[in-house]
Amino acid sequence: MHISDGVLPLAVTIGGYGASAGFAAWSARRILSRDLPKVAVVTSAFFVASLVHIPFGPTSTHLLLPGLAGALLGPGAFVAIGLGLLLQSVLFQFGGITALGANALMMGVPAVVCGWFFQQFKGRTQGRQAIAGGLAGALGTAMAGVFLAIFLVTAGEDFFGVAKLALAAHVPVMVIEGVISGFTIGFLARVKPALLLQSSFQDKTRSFHD
Amino acid sequence: MTDVPYIQVPLWYLPFLVVIPAGMAAGVVSWLKHRSKNRVVREKDPDWSIPPLTQGSGQGTSLIHRWDVRCKIVTMLAYSFAVASLRHLDAAVAAVLVSLAVLMVARVSLHKVVLRLVALAGFLGMLLVVMPLTVPHHPGDVILVFGSLDWLGVNMRGVILAATIAAKATAIALLMEPLLSTAPLPVTLYGLSRLGVPDMVGQMVLLSYRYLHVFSHEARRMTAGMQARGFVKKTNMDTLRALANFLGMLFVRSFERTERVFDAMQARGYKGRFPEPGQLQIRMPDILLTGVWIAAGTALVFYDCTNV
Repeated sequence: MHISDGVLPLAVTIGGYGASAGFAAWSARRILSRDLPKVAVVTSAFFVASLVHIPFGPTSTHLLLPGLAGALLGPGAFVAIGLGLLLQSVLFQFGGITALGANALMMGVPAVVCGWFFQQFKGRTQGRQAIAGGLAGALGTAMAGVFLAIFLVTAGEDFFGVAKLALAAHVPVMVIEGVISGFTIGFLARVKPALLLQSSFQDKTRSFHD
Repeated sequence: MTDVPYIQVPLWYLPFLVVIPAGMAAGVVSWLKHRSKNRVVREKDPDWSIPPLTQGSGQGTSLIHRWDVRCKIVTMLAYSFAVASLRHLDAAVAAVLVSLAVLMVARVSLHKVVLRLVALAGFLGMLLVVMPLTVPHHPGDVILVFGSLDWLGVNMRGVILAATIAAKATAIALLMEPLLSTAPLPVTLYGLSRLGVPDMVGQMVLLSYRYLHVFSHEARRMTAGMQARGFVKKTNMDTLRALANFLGMLFVRSFERTERVFDAMQARGYKGRFPEPGQLQIRMPDILLTGVWIAAGTALVFYDCTNV
């Protein structure tokens, strides 16, 4: 769920922009500047993936994918998610332009944390990678939910009810997200394990030819 | 909480005051969604990622179209933040009227504006339903209680608050179309980079916007393939596994395609920047329009602060 315009107080929106600009600069520095265009192209794939609807009982939900983005892009995930949210906001009006900073923090910070978590616990076997990926996916969604609730609470006590509801809505999404992330990582471990190495775009590994 | 005035209304008011308006709103939104879905198939959307061959042709000639893109970005963003900081319903409604006036002047595609409003409807509808019921009771609040349904106390302050947020979000969303589609996307991004935003941001937006369409096309083809093999989405583990494989395949293809795209870009002499899409020039009318607009925003904020 993305926060729309007009919910957050002015100080929070501007602070959100400042903090996410800082994070984005840190994240961009962890990537070879040459690789930034590639991150942009990969971002659009994540964007498309997040539009896939998963049936859930009578209704359906769409994926947030902070866990997968973190696992595949490492620290670069913050740039990718910020870019994706910017596009979502200006092209499709999901999430307000003034709340963009807060929305980017809400999804980007969990992604980077999940990427770190995944690299720490992935182990060697495919099964273990799938489990670590599933946990990262669930963790990412849970963190995104908590961030959303915190941001809503900063808007005043009138929003406590909305924040509680938003947290509750994240619980089923968290389970689905975890399962999907686990299966996806398992698939990638079988099909193209190179993608799951220490982030493909990271400065040190130079896994791409010149 | 004894000094909260409760207003008892008979139970039969409930359908008239809540259920019927809410049902009508939901109906309108789903009708618009359905209609816009059909429209997309028939009408070809202009592709912003392709800059027009000659500057300005094929674009509108309204006041907003001729506005210098840097002035436009700065003014509209500053104004959006001003609108987002409003606290009273009347000021927020005034902001919506201003946005509607801008929309009339800019003569942009109403179809896209409607799509944006439909996208907003989910979040705002949730607020409009949840906030009246969950806002804590303060002294001076008015609570509507329908008949003997004590637990369903509709706090009018929550209604006003949610309506204010909805008005502010609508006012800003209405401005997005005049901001973005009155100039080709590369020109808007060039304006951003001239304003000091790092060049790379604009390039990344351009690239990911372009490949967004490529990958959604790819995803649609893969979905068609799955359907041809008899895949139907259900709430079960097999569906999740199939969709996860679908995502994994999408990522594998996209990473491979990324490599090929980058190679092709380098083969065509890409050295970290795209060619600039023409010259920008700020003239007197640009500054004048900026001044008038900022004054309007300031007036709104001022009006909002003075009425308590």
